[in-house]
Amino acid sequence: MHRRHFLTLSAAGALAAPAALRAQAEEPLQLRRLYTDDRDFSETARSLEGDRVLFEGFMAPPLEANSTFFVLTKMPMSVCPFCETESEWPDDILAVYTKRVYRVAPFNRKIHVRGELELGPYRDPDTGFLSMVRAVNATFDYA
Amino acid sequence: MTDLWFALPVGVQDAAIALALLLPALGIGAVALRGFRVGPLLRALLRRQAWISVVFTALIAVSVALGAALIAQERGLREGTARAAEKFDLVVAAPGSEITAMLAAVYLQPADVPLVDGETYAEIVAHPRAELVAPIGFGDSWQDAPVIGTTADFAAYLSGRLAEGRLFARPYEAVAGARVDLSVGETFQPAHGHGDAAQEGMHDVDYEVVGRMPMTGSPWDRALLVPIESVWEVHVLPNGHGPDWDRVPGPPFDPAHFPGTPAVLVKADSLGGTYVMQAAFTDGETMAFFPGTILARLHALMGDIREVMSILAVITQVLVTAGVLAGLTMLTRLLARRLALLRALGAPRRFVFALTWSYATTLIVLGAAIGLGLGIAATGAMSAAITARTDILVEARLGWREVHLVAGFVSLTAALALLPAWLTMNRPVMSDLRG
Amino acid sequence: MPGAALEIEGLSVRGARGRALLDVPRFAVAAGTALAVRGPSGAGKSTFLHALAGLVPAAAGAVRWDGEDIAALPEPARAAFRRRRVGFVFQEHLLFEELSAPENAAIAALYGPRAGRDAVHGRGRDRLAELGLDPGETRRSDTYSGGERQRIAVARALATDPAILLADEPTASLDRANADRLADELVRLAHEEGRTLVAVSHDPALHAVADRVIDLADGRITEDAAP
Repeated sequence: MHRRHFLTLSAAGALAAPAALRAQAEEPLQLRRLYTDDRDFSETARSLEGDRVLFEGFMAPPLEANSTFFVLTKMPMSVCPFCETESEWPDDILAVYTKRVYRVAPFNRKIHVRGELELGPYRDPDTGFLSMVRAVNATFDYA
Repeated sequence: MTDLWFALPVGVQDAAIALALLLPALGIGAVALRGFRVGPLLRALLRRQAWISVVFTALIAVSVALGAALIAQERGLREGTARAAEKFDLVVAAPGSEITAMLAAVYLQPADVPLVDGETYAEIVAHPRAELVAPIGFGDSWQDAPVIGTTADFAAYLSGRLAEGRLFARPYEAVAGARVDLSVGETFQPAHGHGDAAQEGMHDVDYEVVGRMPMTGSPWDRALLVPIESVWEVHVLPNGHGPDWDRVPGPPFDPAHFPGTPAVLVKADSLGGTYVMQAAFTDGETMAFFPGTILARLHALMGDIREVMSILAVITQVLVTAGVLAGLTMLTRLLARRLALLRALGAPRRFVFALTWSYATTLIVLGAAIGLGLGIAATGAMSAAITARTDILVEARLGWREVHLVAGFVSLTAALALLPAWLTMNRPVMSDLRG
Repeated sequence: MPGAALEIEGLSVRGARGRALLDVPRFAVAAGTALAVRGPSGAGKSTFLHALAGLVPAAAGAVRWDGEDIAALPEPARAAFRRRRVGFVFQEHLLFEELSAPENAAIAALYGPRAGRDAVHGRGRDRLAELGLDPGETRRSDTYSGGERQRIAVARALATDPAILLADEPTASLDRANADRLADELVRLAHEEGRTLVAVSHDPALHAVADRVIDLADGRITEDAAP
């Protein structure tokens, strides 16, 4: 009897936890909040790994039409995110892999991207692009 | 719930959508047929009205096939044009229309565009992130094949490995695209310009084909690649090199003797590098653009047209089906006596309703299924025609989108079929029975 | 199977523009009777039969079978009444030509309650055999002769084990020998199996074997007598 009660409670707890995280994630996550000052992944990033997270930014003009990959940048692409830093991986961009072939958004329209957060280095076999943080199975909408 | 949906693989999502679209038809069927065995009478009906059934089914099938093939074609065209542009990461040209420059440089559609000069070209080559830089000099042709002046490195980059022969190593050698009607060892004389405006005999030189590229599925399959130096020479321009040139074509070019090129293809060291170079060469002197982006914008436009086309396709199909249903309503008058007989024998009105509805729905489902099959054939034929005309390899296949379209169509028309069924249900038994 | 008793009271059926098709103030038939109805064409014989089956709405009056007024029932209930209690034999056999004889005989299994389906099939086959037809035959019913087809129609009428048999000129399309055989068979079903038979017919052979014959003219019963 007690045991059953306990099980019910813990099940409710398990259900409530992701819901709380989701509610928290409704505000778009700042890309810089994924890193610590010494460019390691932050606690926030690690706690959200694998969850569907909402990001905000601009779609860099894609190099390929009809693809499932683009770069999300903090600023519209007229400001080149790769230009100000020597590093191959600027900390204000996000690699986005969409669930389906996407429809390109104008580079100056703000978009909301929702995708599963993936951390760690990954080299795209097609483009050779090395990314450190990705939103995969993503969908997006105009903000 | 939405998270669960997003967690599903694309195929499962598509299957679920198709099922959801079919659900209304299945629901109507389950309710209409509940407790009845319409099978034997349905078969009897189909056999009795065999010819009319075949004609009605064929009408539905053809309209479904055309709709599905059109939608599939749009997707195939998108995939084909994207594949054809795959190798062209970044193009630098003199300021002007990006679309014109892209159509000329990537799809070899002849155009008059201003030239990028030698200084700028040298700057691009010297950029630290540049990996491959090549001029794309278009303007001449042989028969219908564009003759493109470029470098051997570009020919190697474009073709991967040659299907036959070797790359050009002397100014008047050429590498032919897979669909060019010249074999290794044959020679050709280029004409100035293209098509009807081409002026034969202006260029009194002979090129020898020394290699052939494999099929790339792009308009480059129709092209003849030659050293850019020879193109300049043919037009009585400096040949890109100083006086002590060893006549081995290719970089480095001497900016002082560089007459200009309409477009420059750039491949940078990485994705980031490509963005960096795009930023670096977008200024008053030059424009640098991603053909992929421009194509994606055109695709977005095509997507809008496709939405309209999808709706038109569905409307057409529904209209055809409405016509068929109107025909069926008239047909049921021919069947009225048999339906009245069933009523007289004590069959519930709903049984007559179920029988007529399932007859109409059988034609609809059969027509839709045959239509999908026909659509596959039509898609293949249309793709072949587009490929033959544009040299862009279009391999359209029926996909889930078309299945969804057809599933939606089946549900919608199965609902429409309730109307004639309802009309037969309310016919007077006695007068129908007298015939 | 006890037959059903019929009782008509103040029945009036009207056609287009209120024209009187049938006017029967009072009429009763005992269960298990073989009744023949005759009259000139247009006298209302078919309307009479359809009224007994609840196929035409009554403007007024009652048609009671074993006390149940079918004229007062809504259409679904009248269809259910026909399904459970009435067997119909038509002038031109009216079979589903693409179906086989056993399929036609058991047509009620397609729309009747699931529980009764096997019984319907069984009775259909038995009746076909009784009437001299092969119950295992699978060829289309339009390959049969006229007399055989009418016997298939009788088997169909009996497959639901009805208390009431309604027949509309059942012998009209048959030759003499077949007509006589069918008339005897129908009356036998009333006498031996207790079903109430109402047969509209101008066939004297059928009048001769019936228990009772009525004459209709202009929608009214003008004669009512034993033959």
